Amino acid sequence: MSVGLWEVLALLLLIGSGLAVVRLQNAVHAALALIANFLVVAGVYVALEARFVAMIQIIVYAGAIVVLFLFVIMLLSAASANVGQDLMPRLPWVAGLGAIGLAGLLTFAVTRFQPPANAPALGGGLPQALGPLLYDPEKWLYALLAVGFLLLVATVAAVVLIEPERIISATGHPAHPRRDKMPTPPMSEQKDEKAVVKR
Amino acid sequence: MIWLIASALLFSMGAYGALTRRTAILVFLSIELMLNAAALSLISFSRLYGSLDGQVVVLFIIAIAAAEVAVGLGLIVAIFRRRETTSVDELRQLRG
Repeated sequence: MSVGLWEVLALLLLIGSGLAVVRLQNAVHAALALIANFLVVAGVYVALEARFVAMIQIIVYAGAIVVLFLFVIMLLSAASANVGQDLMPRLPWVAGLGAIGLAGLLTFAVTRFQPPANAPALGGGLPQALGPLLYDPEKWLYALLAVGFLLLVATVAAVVLIEPERIISATGHPAHPRRDKMPTPPMSEQKDEKAVVKR
Repeated sequence: MIWLIASALLFSMGAYGALTRRTAILVFLSIELMLNAAALSLISFSRLYGSLDGQVVVLFIIAIAAAEVAVGLGLIVAIFRRRETTSVDELRQLRG
């Protein structure tokens, strides 16, 4: 595989934006560098015959996930600041050495890998080629259904996590009832009160 | 092949960030970088083997990352409301 100008450029952009994600002190800048990294990776996906995944990468990763990150960073601006005493001041050096060692090991592992000769073409990785695989019961159909269920559960969990007390009291099992937000009494009691007033 | 090396480098950078960042949000950001590196290696293996299964797995990775971010950021917001901090140095009640 020949290494051209575009590969070198994309590699430099990947490394630069990755370093920016893990080193920048401003959390908003780190999240924006992550968007840049995801966009470059999407370009690499197009070059690797995975066009549908590249589009999904841009829409879901760069468009939705990082924007969610940016929302939370800006909502909790105090939560993204480095505060307090650093418990392990020498950790960055140790972690840097460990990361360099890990990179060396992984690079050694993948350069030892021998790809099979004359691999078939992928047809550009378009949805026409991916769809039959996704919906084939002998391939990935049940995994797809499981992922759909997982997304439903995660959505419910995200809603419940924000205000557990209110969700619990709305379902009629108040854990910590608040006086200003007491659930309305059941219909039967209201009817009884009206009956008492009439008498 | 060059993209496999790129994914190895990105994965190591994400591991470095996950170890050195001190607030939960930025640790989470580094973990997203590691997930993305794994997806990149799957895509390049899919190209090298001429099989589309790797790309399907990457679609699943993206869907699961979306679910993970929804739950994780919900957790971070809930912890911050209760504790006024998300520093991973201060959230250590479960340490023995």
